[in-house]
Amino acid sequence: MTAATVPPRPAEPGTAAVFARAAGAEWVRLRTVRTTWWCLLAATVTIVGMGAIAAADEAEGTATAADPIASTFAGEYGVLLGQFGLLVLVLLAVTSEYATGSIGPTLQWTPRRGVLLAARVAVPAAVAVAAGVLLALVADLLALGIDPDLTLTLGEAAGGLARIAVVLAAGSVLAVGLGLLLRSTAGALATVFLLQLVLPFLMQSFNVGWLADLAEWLPGTGAVRTLLREPDSLSAGGALALQVCWAAAALAAGGRRLLRRDAG
Amino acid sequence: MIEVRGLTKQYGTVRAVDDLTFDVQPGKVTGFLGPNGAGKSTTMRMVLGLDRPTAGTALVAGRPFARLGQPLRVAGALLDAQAVHPGRSGRDHLRVAAGATGLPPRHVDDVLDQVGLGPAAKRRVAGYSLGMRQRLGVAAALLGDPAVLLFDEPMNGLDLDGVRWVRALVRRLADEGRTVLLSSHLMSEMEQTADHLVIIGRGRLIADAPITEVMGGRHANRRVRVRTTAPDDLAGALLRRGLRVHPADDGDLLVEGAPAETVGDVALELGIAVHRLAEQTSSLEEVYLGLTGDSVQYGAAALTGQAVR
Repeated sequence: MTAATVPPRPAEPGTAAVFARAAGAEWVRLRTVRTTWWCLLAATVTIVGMGAIAAADEAEGTATAADPIASTFAGEYGVLLGQFGLLVLVLLAVTSEYATGSIGPTLQWTPRRGVLLAARVAVPAAVAVAAGVLLALVADLLALGIDPDLTLTLGEAAGGLARIAVVLAAGSVLAVGLGLLLRSTAGALATVFLLQLVLPFLMQSFNVGWLADLAEWLPGTGAVRTLLREPDSLSAGGALALQVCWAAAALAAGGRRLLRRDAG
Repeated sequence: MIEVRGLTKQYGTVRAVDDLTFDVQPGKVTGFLGPNGAGKSTTMRMVLGLDRPTAGTALVAGRPFARLGQPLRVAGALLDAQAVHPGRSGRDHLRVAAGATGLPPRHVDDVLDQVGLGPAAKRRVAGYSLGMRQRLGVAAALLGDPAVLLFDEPMNGLDLDGVRWVRALVRRLADEGRTVLLSSHLMSEMEQTADHLVIIGRGRLIADAPITEVMGGRHANRRVRVRTTAPDDLAGALLRRGLRVHPADDGDLLVEGAPAETVGDVALELGIAVHRLAEQTSSLEEVYLGLTGDSVQYGAAALTGQAVR
C-alpha cells in the first residue's frame, strides 16, 4: 500500500519533559497497585496509634500547665516505628518491578536510565515524606486532645515535622538504592530493617564496647537521634550527615547497577 | 528500519550472540528464526537497549533506542507478555505507558478496543490468560503508533483466532510501510506471514534473505511424487536415468532431481498409467532444519553424549 501512513519520527523532547513524564508514570504506577494503599494504611495505624499511646503515657507524666512540653514527640515516636510502612511502600515500588519482570516494559517506555532513576527516587520518596509528615501532624494534634497540658506552637510543629521529613527522605533514598542494588524484595527489605531499626538497638544492647561503637555508624542511629533528640553522644549535624551519607552511598551503588547493567 | 552491526553478547564463557549484522527493512514482515537458545530474545533485548552489548551497535530509526526521549512513538515491542505487574489492571498498565510517553489517555482506550481487550480492561492482569496478556503486550506496542515494531513469539498462548489476528495485524502493519520484526518458532506461521527471513543459530547469522530465496536454496529439495500401477518398472527406468527414487509410505514414488515433465515422459515411454503426479517443494520447516542442523545446541545428540558419559 502506501508508506504515507507511517508516522514520521517525532522531535525529541527535552530532558525536563522526559523527566516530567517519567515522574507522572511513576505516580500512576504507585497509585494503581493495592500494596501502596495497604502500606499507607499500616503507616497510618502505626504513626497515629503510637503517637496516641505516647501521649496517653505522657498524660500520666511530667508535663504540667506550668511547665508544658511540645506534643511533637507523639508524631516522632509514631514515625520511629511507622516509617517502616512508608519505607516498604518505597521499596516495593522498586523491587516489584524486578519480581514481576515489569522493569522490561518500564525501560522500553523510559529507556533513558538516568531520567528513570531520578523519577524513581523522587516520586516514592515524595509520597513517603508527604504521607509521613501529614500523619505525624495528625498524631501531634491528637496528642493535644489526649493531654491538655501539652502545647503545639507553629515553630514546634515546623521543627518536629522537618526532622521527620529528613528521616523519611533519607530512609526512602536508602530503600530505593538498596532495592535497585539487590533487586530482591526480601533481601532489600531485610537490609533496610536491619540498618534502620534492628542493628542500632541490638548492637548497643550487648555489653561489648566495639559493637556499640559500630552501631554509632549505622543510619538508624542517625534516624533515632534526629527523631528523639537523644542520645547526646551524637550531634544533630552528625546524625544528619550519617543519614545523608548512607542514603548517598546506597543510591550510588543502586543507581550504578541500574545505569550500567542489563535490565534484569 | 533496524540496523544491527556486529552485535555480540557474552555471558561469562558463553557467547549468546556472536557478531550479528543485519538490517530489518520497512514495508516487510521480517521473520526472526532460530532454535531455542539461538539468541533471538537477547538480540531483541539489545536492540531495545535492555541488555548492554559486549560489542557492536543496534540502531532503531537511526538512533540507539536507549537515547530516545519518547521511544513508544518510534518503536513498540512485545518481548515477554508475562512481564506485567499482576496487581494492575490492563488499562492502568497502558496508562503508565501513555504517561511515560506523553500520550493522551484516550489512546489507551482506543488501543484496548483495537486488540479486543475492551471488556477486560478494568480487571487485574493477574486474572488474564496468556492470550490476553499477549494482546495487552501488543496494545502497549501499538500505543504510540510507532514506525518500528518488534514482536518476540507473539503467537505463544494464542488460540487459532488469536494466531489469525496476529497474522493479519503484522501484515497490515507492514503494508502500511512499517518495519516489523517477528520472532516465532512456528515455522508454518513464518511461511504464511514473513516476507524476509533472518535465521540465526548459536548466536550467529545463518541466513538473511527473502523467504522465496530461502525456500528455493540449497536446502530446499524439489521432489516429484508419482502414483502408478507399476511402481517397480517406473522406478527402474528413472534410476537408469540417474535420478534418485525412493518409495513413500503409501506406495507412491518420490523422485528427486527431476521436474514433473521428465517423470511423466518416462512413464509415457513405458506405457505406464500415472494416477498422480505432483511437484513438491520442501516446507520452511525442512529448510530451517537443514540450515540450523549444525547449530542446535541442546539436540538429541548432546543428550545422548551426556548419558553415555
